[in-house]
Amino acid sequence: MSYLDDGRPQPVKKLVDMDYLLNEAPREKHFITGAQAMAEAVKRANVDMAIAYPITPQSEVMHLVGDVFAQGHIKEYYRAEEELGTMSAIAGASRAGVRLFTATSGPGLMRGLEAIVSWSGHRVPAVLGILTRVINAPLSIQPDNIEMAYMMHCGAVMLHAENQQDTFDFTLAAFAIAEKVDVYIPVAVATEGFFVTHAKGYVDMMSEDLGYLDFDSVASPVPAMDNETPPARIQRDAPVQKSNFMSYLIHSVWQQEIWDSNKRAMKYIYQYLGGPIEVQNPEADVFIVASGCAAAQAREAWRYAQEDGLSVGLIKVKAIRPFPADEIRDVVKNAKALIVPEHNIIGWLCKEIKATIPNGGIVVEGPRVYGGMTLPVELIMKEIHDALGLEYDLQL
Amino acid sequence: MSLKYITPSERFKRYLPKDYVELIDYGPFGKTQDEAGPGNMGQFKELVEEHPMCSGCWMAYYIRLIFASLPKPEETVTIGTAGCGRLAISQAAVPFIYGNYGDQNAMASGLTRAFRLRFPDKTKDVITIAGDGGTMDIGFSMTMHSWIRGEKFTTIMLDNEVYGNTGGQSSGMSPKGAVLKMAPLGKDFEKMPATDLAKAAGCVYIVRMSPTNIKKAAKVIRRAIFVAREVGPTFIQAYTSCNIEYSIPTEDVFADAKAQEKDRFTFDEYMTDAAKEVIERVEAEEKAAKKAKKAMEA
Amino acid sequence: MAEKKKIERYNIRISGLGGQGVVTTAHILGAAMDNAGKFASLVPFFGSEKRMAPVEAYVRASTQPIYEVGEVIYPDIIMIYHSQVVTHGKSYTMPFYTGLKPNSLIIINTDRDVLFPEDVEVLKNLNATVVQFDATALALKIAGTELATNMAMMGMVLGLTKLVNIDNIEAAVRERFLGNSFVASGGTAALDSAIEKKFKKKEDLLAKNMEVITATFAMADEVDMSTDETIIQFDV
Repeated sequence: MSYLDDGRPQPVKKLVDMDYLLNEAPREKHFITGAQAMAEAVKRANVDMAIAYPITPQSEVMHLVGDVFAQGHIKEYYRAEEELGTMSAIAGASRAGVRLFTATSGPGLMRGLEAIVSWSGHRVPAVLGILTRVINAPLSIQPDNIEMAYMMHCGAVMLHAENQQDTFDFTLAAFAIAEKVDVYIPVAVATEGFFVTHAKGYVDMMSEDLGYLDFDSVASPVPAMDNETPPARIQRDAPVQKSNFMSYLIHSVWQQEIWDSNKRAMKYIYQYLGGPIEVQNPEADVFIVASGCAAAQAREAWRYAQEDGLSVGLIKVKAIRPFPADEIRDVVKNAKALIVPEHNIIGWLCKEIKATIPNGGIVVEGPRVYGGMTLPVELIMKEIHDALGLEYDLQL
Repeated sequence: MSLKYITPSERFKRYLPKDYVELIDYGPFGKTQDEAGPGNMGQFKELVEEHPMCSGCWMAYYIRLIFASLPKPEETVTIGTAGCGRLAISQAAVPFIYGNYGDQNAMASGLTRAFRLRFPDKTKDVITIAGDGGTMDIGFSMTMHSWIRGEKFTTIMLDNEVYGNTGGQSSGMSPKGAVLKMAPLGKDFEKMPATDLAKAAGCVYIVRMSPTNIKKAAKVIRRAIFVAREVGPTFIQAYTSCNIEYSIPTEDVFADAKAQEKDRFTFDEYMTDAAKEVIERVEAEEKAAKKAKKAMEA
Repeated sequence: MAEKKKIERYNIRISGLGGQGVVTTAHILGAAMDNAGKFASLVPFFGSEKRMAPVEAYVRASTQPIYEVGEVIYPDIIMIYHSQVVTHGKSYTMPFYTGLKPNSLIIINTDRDVLFPEDVEVLKNLNATVVQFDATALALKIAGTELATNMAMMGMVLGLTKLVNIDNIEAAVRERFLGNSFVASGGTAALDSAIEKKFKKKEDLLAKNMEVITATFAMADEVDMSTDETIIQFDV
């Protein structure tokens, strides 16, 4: 029985390109959770197949994607055995030339990582939702985002959503970015578990009668292994197996190509998301630089600072990979201090920024909270005042 | 597209690698088993001709046999994992996917479903070919769950009872007592009951064999593929000795395989009623086609 | 009361015990703000989710959009639903006023003064105002059930802050208890009668709850927030 006659509804959609879908289609305001926002994006992305495996706080997303499947917006969906099985099945399905989605969280990402980090090399243009969660031990389910550090070196494009609206927009854009012929690597869309996934926010969405254009299995730098797409692969030669020298050469060239593909994604991040960073008050002395949910806290602190007449700017980093090094360097060239609030103990964003600018000494390492706890705006205010040589009484 | 997509235009042929052109002209594509099958291996351009396997490798022979038995090589994709087998499988003239350790049956689950949604009216055969370690140790959960879910593809386990590629370590399929690396005092538990597990997990066609009889082995491979197309997961556990790690002299490899037919690899074929129906139908069709062809020739 | 910020913004921490309707209050406060055309966000924080176990919920209320998320670490309003939060330390944040901002407000449900002298000292230095009243007794008196304690507390906080009006509150309470998906004619006859029965009970509950809220909302007017006294004690 094929998906065409399995009894599910078959919604009729108007298929449009991503420029229209994201930037032109009329939108209506909804008050929904981050998990709903991600599933609503999947609903409009004309996804062929989604594979699910539960883990808190991701489960909400993949339940909802299951509902989206039942409503007929997705052709195939199943619950896999565990995350390695899920991520491997995504890699397998991708060879048939279809559009794919899955999502996971913290320990699940770790379990699936062996397969996920090979997606880029396999040229799997799938979209992966990461709903952040502490990595054990000790056990916790709270939204620490340290797992993103493990994802940063596998070649995948990584977007980090601040709120429910970002989660919706980034997830939709991710499909278009991943499938560009000169990109064709996975795109991960991360956002904080609970803070965003389980909280409601306002999301402007286009009609669900619209869908993204069908997946084009021919517009690919590597042919789909569907025995349909020329050039036919019946050459009896597996070059990597031939000799060590061949193996070195092919692997190194392939890695360069993956990271070049990653860089080439940047122009599409401009096209669909207006660029990899958002800047407020570019003339400021002190900047708060933050991504994901920390950017929401930073935005609140920036607003308070504005009211107090402080020279404070905000840089929200939307793309973690490719990292907007040039863009950040340009904005902060006259800054006196950069404050980098983060939801993890190692400060992966702080490290990136330090490595990006010539005067790393101006970077304030924090504030950081971890274990999934809340990042109080007051901690950021304290750092702002310190950086400006002002008093700030933070009583605990 | 299938056959057409691999067939180059006449004028383009001279620019293509010779190897490719020969496969098109003298390979098994579009031919029957009588024209180019296990019965006349060596007399046509085979899908596997060269491989880097050890001299006297029984696994290399069996892999060659698998490819010679394929009902539709131009519509087949194989998936494998780490191990000796993939060295030969990856050099066959059939698309081969190498994923990560032991994930072949998870990959095949995704691939089979994606094929079915993209090509609802076509037959695309997906076959996982992995060793005993890949199938029953590291890939165990993915193997079992693909069967439990009833995924429609064929799983072939090349059972050499050892991790040959990494240098001879004991596997779950090694016989009890075998002294191998990582079992220096001898393996202290039984060989895993792979076919029983397959049966419990819902495989609809299961065979355990030592493939000493070419015709019989080919028939089993084809049955497994035909049944997987229509009914559900199928599984073949084939003895493919490691003459290096088990110190079998090259000239004794066949005798060892024969001996195993009476030991750990007695022939065992299980099929459900639905599988039997498919097998009987397909084999009757093949017979009829053969008869008709003979009559035509006469 | 807190000195007026440029943005009217309250970060509220509600501490109580399981079963007291702490999270319910957060939902109603949020909905009331929404009804008033203002903004709110809420974060429930459950512990073991048992009766009498500590429960906290957090509400941010503002005339402007709210960006930040997570628990309120630095509140300007603290609501204590049970004296054991103070006396037994049944709270996630210890002592209960941890993180309180200067010039802030604390409302405690208690029939007597539960503050230790050293606590009063700290709160005095923060220029805090503590309103203590027996919300449970009031709930029993008006609604005939201590389950309306949360309503009494909510009426008090909204009366003191004037964030919303009584109509906004009533709409929010109605939405919470009656929902907006109720269809009187739907379903089988048996189901109809069951729902109607429940509905009648709920209408009664709603009316009683509103009575409690209105009473404390009005009581709040008697509070002189400009007083230098740290503790304001009510008799109910």
